[in-house]
Amino acid sequence: MNRRLTAEIWKHRKAYAAISPFFIVFAIFGLFPIAFSMYLSFQKWDGIGDMTFNGLNNYRFMLGDPEFWHAVTNTLLIWVYSTIPMLFLALVLAFLLNASFVKCRTFFRIGYFLPNVTSLVAVAIVFSTLFSSNYGLLNYALNLFGLQSVEFLQRTWGIQFAISLMIVWRWVGYNAIIYLAGLQSIPAVLYEAARMDGATGAQAFFRITVPILRPIILFTVITSTIGGMQIFTEPQVLVGNDGGPGGGGLTIVLYLYREAFINNYFGYGAAVGWGMFVLIALFSLVNWRLVKGSSN
Amino acid sequence: MTTRATFSAMLAAMLIAAIMLTGCSPQAAAEKKTTLTIWYWNRGLDDKLIEAARTRFPNVRIVAQKVGGDFKSKLKTTLAAGSGGPDIVAFNDWVTEMFPNADRFYDLYKLGAHDIEKDYLPWKWQLGVTPQGRMVALPIDTGPTALFYRADLFEQAGLPSDPEEVHKLMGTWDAYLAAGKKLQDALGDGVKLTDNIGTIYTQVNAQSENIYFDKADAFIGKDPSSSMKRAWDLAVKASGMGLLANANGGTPEWSAAMNTGKIASFVGAVWNKEILRQAAPDTAGKWRVARAPGGDGNNGGSFLAIMGTSKHPNEAFRLIEWLQNPENQVKSFADVNLFPSAKTALDAPALRKKEDFFGGQATGEIFTASALHVKPSYFGPRYVNVNGIANRQLQSVSTQGKDPDQAWRDTLARIDKELLR
Repeated sequence: MNRRLTAEIWKHRKAYAAISPFFIVFAIFGLFPIAFSMYLSFQKWDGIGDMTFNGLNNYRFMLGDPEFWHAVTNTLLIWVYSTIPMLFLALVLAFLLNASFVKCRTFFRIGYFLPNVTSLVAVAIVFSTLFSSNYGLLNYALNLFGLQSVEFLQRTWGIQFAISLMIVWRWVGYNAIIYLAGLQSIPAVLYEAARMDGATGAQAFFRITVPILRPIILFTVITSTIGGMQIFTEPQVLVGNDGGPGGGGLTIVLYLYREAFINNYFGYGAAVGWGMFVLIALFSLVNWRLVKGSSN
Repeated sequence: MTTRATFSAMLAAMLIAAIMLTGCSPQAAAEKKTTLTIWYWNRGLDDKLIEAARTRFPNVRIVAQKVGGDFKSKLKTTLAAGSGGPDIVAFNDWVTEMFPNADRFYDLYKLGAHDIEKDYLPWKWQLGVTPQGRMVALPIDTGPTALFYRADLFEQAGLPSDPEEVHKLMGTWDAYLAAGKKLQDALGDGVKLTDNIGTIYTQVNAQSENIYFDKADAFIGKDPSSSMKRAWDLAVKASGMGLLANANGGTPEWSAAMNTGKIASFVGAVWNKEILRQAAPDTAGKWRVARAPGGDGNNGGSFLAIMGTSKHPNEAFRLIEWLQNPENQVKSFADVNLFPSAKTALDAPALRKKEDFFGGQATGEIFTASALHVKPSYFGPRYVNVNGIANRQLQSVSTQGKDPDQAWRDTLARIDKELLR
């Protein structure tokens, strides 16, 4: 049966050769690591010596480890604290950037996008000095108003707040630009008609802009979910490998990193990676249902 | 040319290149010269000394590669790959994590290390030897510990400020904490005795012969011979007395606290001199160093090993032996502050230099005395895992107000679980 198929492939061999680089590179750097991490998650391996088959023990340890669940909770909390205000803010910003009364729009567009291309480590260091207990700018401002200093980076909520703020600061412009592209595709006649019917600006925003932007909002929610579940550099630079005092900044990836690269359980690290995969898939599904379902 | 011809030509060119690359293996190009590749990190070895080694060993081509970023992970990746690594590699104090895979490195005893053993500090030498007696790594530098303190603040608080008197009064940890109480009572809440709970815990353990594991890798933390509980109790006591600034090392917070005089002292290794000098320039001249409360200890320090995949172990050994001989260790100290591990190097005048940052004190005298009295200790391949657990719980005690007894029980329970993995 495959005779014809082989002949067909041979006929188009140049086309296949032309597209092959991507697939070859993907197979080496994408597919193989994924398959290998699946294999690794059933092994016990210190990263150097021989691997020994470990059955489901890695997964069992993961599900029974309170620190893993702590990391999951932290990640979800940080995701909620960052994504919801960020996307809302991005939408409002995009709406304003699109408005005709704003001058120097290109300047603002670039300005809001700029944080996205800033080095993450540098940002985390700047934030750590902002939130520093004794010498931070934030506490300086609090003291100016006669308020007591807050040890932000030693409290669970403080650490999570700082990380969320970092995410919002970095990604709000990126999402605003995506929304802006969506806004520009909405025909102006819709707004004109609404205005003639006596709709206020807020009504136009919630009744026209938001419904039409729904697929774009879905896109940003899913990308933010995938990104939010993989937060690593922010907490690592801000509060270290343990996620700070009390472990408020211990995210899933930071936990994975610690267990694999600090504690030398590489098989276990792979299992945590797959746990995270399940979590992200579940979340994307829920998001998709939520955002898609309410449009009907 | 048709496309097919171009394609064949390209293929042919690639084939030829491949043949040439494999054909040109070392024999052809360097029949007389042996190539030795060294992996180390910036300032892990003295670059001037490596330059000198090139003239000292004319028949060896030395390829010195500074590996940046996560050095240990890169080394592990290479070991996992099983080929293509360097001949010589630097280790940090995580040498102990390599013991389960000691067979991946040459046993330096078999290459002639016995002959030079007498030149080195025995406790440091032993850190590179497995309990089975296989020598994995040769000492580079050491990190003897001592008490760094602000002489001016001690004086203001009515405490002695001369290093010898400081040590006389604060010879034990309890006396040190009591003096801290006195200091804070006199100077008010703006000054704390020391930086954080982990410092006390780590440094008490660093002075001990038995920490977490015996040489059979059995956990001894519950045993009275282990320093773990004593270190824990002292750390908790310091926290309860309010003597900690809760500033963790390596953070901007720590540097700022040092520079503004919020922290009056800390026990640390010799390499903290450089860190302190950079973090707290405004306090230059006010610091002094005294022998640490509780005894002398060691923190960190690095090693050199020869990878099992090296084809020239004898040449490699001759090179590292030369790089780390007493005379060259003195040079490395002068150039990049690597504190010697060779006994005779400790007597060199270069170590007795007076330092302005420490008010003209020759702190080398203190650190040398400390280095000579460190007790031999065994860390075990799982030191970092267990130490991480204890430190996390201690952080919760000092910053989250967790009940210390509960934290101790949680620590032991977690360690039990960890050791079953």
